[in-house]
Amino acid sequence: MAGDPDLTGHDVAPEMCADTDAALRAPEPPKQPPRRALMKITPATYLKEAALKNLFLLCAFVAVAGVALIFIFVGIKGWPIFGKVGLLNFLGGATWLPTQGHFGILPLIVNSLLAMTGALILGGPLAVGTAIFLSEVASPRARAIVRPAVELLAGIPSVVYGFFGLVLLRPIIASLFGGLGFGLLTVWLILAVMIVPTIATLTEDALGSVPEGIREASYSMGATKWQTIWRVLLPAAKIGIIDAIILGMGRAIGETMAVVMVAGNAGVIPDGILKPFLTLTTVIVMDMPYASGDHTTALFGIAIVLFIISMLFVAAIRVISRFGKQVG
Amino acid sequence: MRRIVVALAGTALMLAGLLALSGCAASTTASTTQLTVTGSTTLLPIAEVSAEDFMAANSGTRVLVSGVGSSAGIESVTNGTCDIGTSSRELKPAELSLGLVDTPVARDAIAVIVNPGNPVTSLNTSQVADIFSGKVRNWKEVGGPDLEIGLVNRDEASGTRQAFLELVMKGRDFDPTAAVLPGTGQVRSVVAQSRIAVGYISLGFVDSSVKAIVIDGVAPTPATVADKSYPVSRVLHFLTKGEPQGLAKQFIDYVLSPTIQDSVVPDAGFLPMSAGVK
Repeated sequence: MAGDPDLTGHDVAPEMCADTDAALRAPEPPKQPPRRALMKITPATYLKEAALKNLFLLCAFVAVAGVALIFIFVGIKGWPIFGKVGLLNFLGGATWLPTQGHFGILPLIVNSLLAMTGALILGGPLAVGTAIFLSEVASPRARAIVRPAVELLAGIPSVVYGFFGLVLLRPIIASLFGGLGFGLLTVWLILAVMIVPTIATLTEDALGSVPEGIREASYSMGATKWQTIWRVLLPAAKIGIIDAIILGMGRAIGETMAVVMVAGNAGVIPDGILKPFLTLTTVIVMDMPYASGDHTTALFGIAIVLFIISMLFVAAIRVISRFGKQVG
Repeated sequence: MRRIVVALAGTALMLAGLLALSGCAASTTASTTQLTVTGSTTLLPIAEVSAEDFMAANSGTRVLVSGVGSSAGIESVTNGTCDIGTSSRELKPAELSLGLVDTPVARDAIAVIVNPGNPVTSLNTSQVADIFSGKVRNWKEVGGPDLEIGLVNRDEASGTRQAFLELVMKGRDFDPTAAVLPGTGQVRSVVAQSRIAVGYISLGFVDSSVKAIVIDGVAPTPATVADKSYPVSRVLHFLTKGEPQGLAKQFIDYVLSPTIQDSVVPDAGFLPMSAGVK
């Protein structure tokens, strides 16, 4: 009874539902009981409600305070580098040789973007394809195998991906294409697999939220499965899929442990996809143990840049979602 | 008014506490004997472990170890701010007249390693510097096959990298496009897997999975390191102002004893003073 959706326009207590039922069956005499039931809410209940409300407020506050504290701390620690080196020289400088006083992070920014873009080009279609398979094509049995597998991919610690890449993938790439196997190609392959769960689960959700009626309409017009997916479902779920891809981009650019093990960590823009390179995240892991003075400040400056990049991603998702709502 | 009184009382209590604490600290210093060891970061692993074991074996003594660099170590032992200065380089001519007594405590040798499948077995120092500075990029330029050289470097936190920079590069910069790996083990395993790779590790960590290059005609072995014929090696020194005495002598003797020489020194990748000496 209590779960009956027709009766729960608002949150209604179970005993009230029972009373309303009684009222429906015998309309005349029991007009009073529901009101009395309403008035039974005691001060203790109000207190409990208020306490719970504040508890949840506190939970939300901790999250916000965490972000704010990290941002303030990183900001305070990293800000001086912009004054010392100059914002343009820091972001646009082509030489990263921190121990010799060169703090240009342009190669690191370019490398991070290169790593992310390649991973997206390889992993994006793979993930969207997986999502389409799970949502539209797979039999329940296939789905029962594939979906947990995809979810398991998300649960593998990134250091395990890195170790796998270093020990297994890197020598294979080295023997196929030459070089040492440290480089963009290896990082792309690892990151492509790592971003699949993020993009696939969110894309599957987006496809799942397309109303069944739209599918039925498409099929009743004589469209095939492929035509329905390509012409109807993907456009209908477009906004959700773009959001999923942006979140995947965030995952790719922020990934550190897996990348540091297979990137080779040379602080230059690589002249090929088989040459070692250093990114915004891996430089922090590599240099933090021994950095001192301006070098440490520069690493915090890089953390600020990473923070701003991830804020841009979140902002992009919000703007696109709002835009999507207006259009839809 | 009351608040002010409380604040004052609080401050007074804190001050009293601080005084008590500093009093404590002062009295402990007085009742123990203290030794300060300052200098080379390369020597830190040996000095730190020795200090811990020494303090455990001799209760009531305190050995303070810090790594500030060899030159700073020589400087502070000269002006008396520490009892033992540690150095990974030889004294410069100007420093020889400072009255410092040198006790060598370990040897450090760096092997240039390649894959066992690489036909190159011998190089001279300037060829090695050419390879690591990026001037030579193909194995055929140093008598090997026509293959690109896969350069493997260490991270800047590495003492081995600093030593290699001093002993081989001699003022030249490392090739910035080289792969940078954060550990001896990683360098060794990458070189063991790749025919084109070249890297460098402490001689103590060389095993059969890699091949150590003969440099200037001398193969890196404990014997060639001991007689100083192998060029990429150095001696690690403990320096004292005058002959070591008292606690400093005790500590140096302990570091030279088999307890440290046969376990701590090789574990840190160095060679004991006795290794290879006939």
